[in-house]
Amino acid sequence: MTFSVRPLCVAALVIAAACDETLPPEGFPESVDGQLRRTLNLYGVVPIGPVPAQSPALVALGQALMFDKILSGNRDIACVTCHEPSQHATDGLPLAVGTGGTGVGSARTLGPGRSFVPRNAPTLLNSGLGLFYVFWDGRLTRFGPPPPDTPLPSDLVDLIAAQAMLPVLNRREMRGERGDVDVFGNPNELAQFGDSQSTQVWQAVMQRLLAIPGYVTLFNAAFPGKPAHALTFGDAATAMAAFQSAALTKTGSPFDRYLQRDDNALSPEAKRGAILFFNDARCSSCHNGPLLGGRDFANSGVPQLGPGVGKGAPLDHGRGELVNNEFYQFAFRVPPLRNVELTAPYFHDGAIATLEDAVRHYNDVTRSLREFDPSTLPDAVRSSYHGDQVTIDSLLVSLDFRLRTPLHLSDAQIDELVAFLKALTDPAARDLSGTVPTSVPSGLPVR
Amino acid sequence: MPVSGLRAVRLAALTLCLISPARAQVIPIKTIPIAQGNQFQLFPSNNLGMGSVSIALPDSLQDPFVNPATGSRLQASRFFSSPTVYSVTRGTGGGRSLPLAVLARKANWYGGLALALQQVEPSRPPQPRGGVVVGVLPPPPPGGGLGGPIQPDPVLRPDLRAHGNQFAFGMIGRSVPGSNLSIGASVLWNGLHALDGVDLLYAGSRRIVQSGHSLDLRLGALKEWPGTRGARSLEALLFHNRFAATHEVTYADLFWDPATLQFQEQARIERNFDHTNTWGLQLDYQVPLAAPGWRFGWLATANRSSHPKIPNYELANLPVIPRDPGRTSAFNLGVGLSKVRGPARFGVDLLYEPIASYTWADAAAPVLTTAGDTIAAGGKTIENRFRFSNAQFRIGFDQILQANGMTAFQLGLIVHSIHYRLAQDDNVQLQQRSLQTGWVEWTPTWGFSIRRPEVEVRYQGRATKGGGRPDAPIFFGVGDLRVAGGTILAAPTGPLFMTDVSTVTHQITVSLPLR
Repeated sequence: MTFSVRPLCVAALVIAAACDETLPPEGFPESVDGQLRRTLNLYGVVPIGPVPAQSPALVALGQALMFDKILSGNRDIACVTCHEPSQHATDGLPLAVGTGGTGVGSARTLGPGRSFVPRNAPTLLNSGLGLFYVFWDGRLTRFGPPPPDTPLPSDLVDLIAAQAMLPVLNRREMRGERGDVDVFGNPNELAQFGDSQSTQVWQAVMQRLLAIPGYVTLFNAAFPGKPAHALTFGDAATAMAAFQSAALTKTGSPFDRYLQRDDNALSPEAKRGAILFFNDARCSSCHNGPLLGGRDFANSGVPQLGPGVGKGAPLDHGRGELVNNEFYQFAFRVPPLRNVELTAPYFHDGAIATLEDAVRHYNDVTRSLREFDPSTLPDAVRSSYHGDQVTIDSLLVSLDFRLRTPLHLSDAQIDELVAFLKALTDPAARDLSGTVPTSVPSGLPVR
Repeated sequence: MPVSGLRAVRLAALTLCLISPARAQVIPIKTIPIAQGNQFQLFPSNNLGMGSVSIALPDSLQDPFVNPATGSRLQASRFFSSPTVYSVTRGTGGGRSLPLAVLARKANWYGGLALALQQVEPSRPPQPRGGVVVGVLPPPPPGGGLGGPIQPDPVLRPDLRAHGNQFAFGMIGRSVPGSNLSIGASVLWNGLHALDGVDLLYAGSRRIVQSGHSLDLRLGALKEWPGTRGARSLEALLFHNRFAATHEVTYADLFWDPATLQFQEQARIERNFDHTNTWGLQLDYQVPLAAPGWRFGWLATANRSSHPKIPNYELANLPVIPRDPGRTSAFNLGVGLSKVRGPARFGVDLLYEPIASYTWADAAAPVLTTAGDTIAAGGKTIENRFRFSNAQFRIGFDQILQANGMTAFQLGLIVHSIHYRLAQDDNVQLQQRSLQTGWVEWTPTWGFSIRRPEVEVRYQGRATKGGGRPDAPIFFGVGDLRVAGGTILAAPTGPLFMTDVSTVTHQITVSLPLR
């Protein structure tokens, strides 16, 4: 057997020389899940852990207080009147209707001689997750003391409890005006105090509460060993915060399941919407972090509506109204977005009725503001719309820089964004009727 | 190779690759250019320093461990030890092995026993030049960092200890008198607790506890036809390899803790099973050529692997696509030439390796597709079809120095070209994608030996360049890699960032005749 080895050697060398790198071409486009998960990491969107367990006795007290109109000067409005379970812990109104109003939820109307609360009632859903700021102007924060004109006990460390201290002081919301009488025709003693007498108001509320045997029992159970004279409204607020944490934390949305590594939790449309949210639509420049918002302020060019706040009235300058925050003209807290589908209308004054309209507003804020159609507003607030050119120009001057360029989203992309936003809804948040007690210790009607 | 610095290598789907405890007859499959330590270079070899040429050039030390029938070529009983160390540059890993082996012959019977202990360092991402940073620092709070710092948790600290593997080999064979036929059987059992590189393939993980074993059963035959220019020979080998390993992977998942109002880490433990069974057949034929000293050989190997369970590997920068096992048919066809003339030996091998692999992902639950259809549980959500066209070129020579006739040196080169096409059907997103990619690995080899009647000492080394190791896959890494039976199945669909590294192996073989 004979072989000519030379050709074989040459062939071998030629083949070896040909074994050069083949540069990978374009490669596969990154998968939707891959792209989305990478982006989530960039924006600090991580799963939310469980809220701390609350004492059942504290929760029971908080539930009673939240639903009891005894906390209001006129005994006609409870916390849940503006944070109504059937409206997913808000009221469905653009601007809240405080004491003197009648009706429930979006059917609630102003009482004679009353005016709207100047801002939308934010939902209490997920308030126990550790918000960075509360109230639309963020006047209460974990990062510093409250403004000088917002009196709070210094020993109150829970931000939600601190928030619960304030509506009872607000005349439009719960306290009432001097000369008011309550639903039984008795003088409203809470309204008689001056606006600087917050401590006296809280003490008066506690006197009301501790005069009711049912509350004495509930307080004793919630704060065992604490004598009645030592109980404060801060304790009541702590109980209300505990109730909110225990009953209104709803983080079981499809998006939350996706964060827990369930790739199938989101529909393909919602995933595309999420990628838009975190990329081209730039939503995540504000709505980021574990709560998808809540840690920033922005002037989103929202049409001005309502009676206005403070020195800027009839306009609402938002955070810019606070001392030393003049930079934030017309800027409001960027709200966390879980369950946003359920909490219409949107923005600080509820000027935008639907989720889709809210997304369309961001698609071209300048145009949306200039072309805002007040006929979309409910009759009750339409007349308080400030659509004059000066107001609009003022809004646009300080418009958040992130919103000055139109996004040019297509209708399909807007639909995808809405699909994603709807995927932030915990199904358990759709029906909060289980949080409603059958009665409250004061005997006042729950609704 | 291909992996240049921090260059992004875009790959697109399933990757079958490297860490193979099986021997060469189990054809390695590799779809991403991850540098692989020579962890399984355990047993002694005559030809390691000369490019491991073997098709037309017998390797009297290595062959009995490959085909037990070739033990009949043993002239006398011998004791071997071949301590081996390997390291992967940039501080990314390494290991050491100490095998002890005895090959013995008595009349027509022959046999062998070998034991080996191995210690493997944990694989780490490439370290910066000029220093070594051991371990993993806690990550910063993501997204710019509001919220408090992450609380350190001792449970989640990386395991920096080396772990060990054990190997046991047994072989027995018999020459059939008067027929020039030998048959033999062997078994190799590996107790595995540390496969090199596995640590890097679970992005975001902090600890990986590996445990498993592999069993390699071989039945070989050798037929020789003596001739005036040397013997023609035909080797046949039937083998079955079973690999089963478990990876208990501890991840440190970030979450927002409403109780402490801080980002926290929590442990998530995933247990991944890695099972692959392979049947294979190899034929190797050698014939002397007319030219004095020259021999020609050819080799053909067929593997059929099933991957009943493949773990969920994750590699940094690579998106996760759930993927379940599949099946692979791998072949190699090779030709070789060698020349033995006086004090010099020369060999060259050329192999072509066509491989076809089909893998898919099962839907664990009904999945909604982009079109609105539903894929029922158990349906295929992703299908991958690979077509490899790999080639390997090996060349080397061995020269006995004439000065004393007792010392020799070896040089060699192995060039391994990996090239594949991938067609992927994503039945959820209704996308068809294709990819064509490849790279080349270069492995120079060298050796030096001293032979005396009472002892033979051989040093051999090799350095492989062309692979990389993923950069810092510690946090935020998502990916999709799967390992099957020591072969890694990976499905990268995005950019893969790797740093060039080299793998260097040194082996010292001591061989003593047993009298």
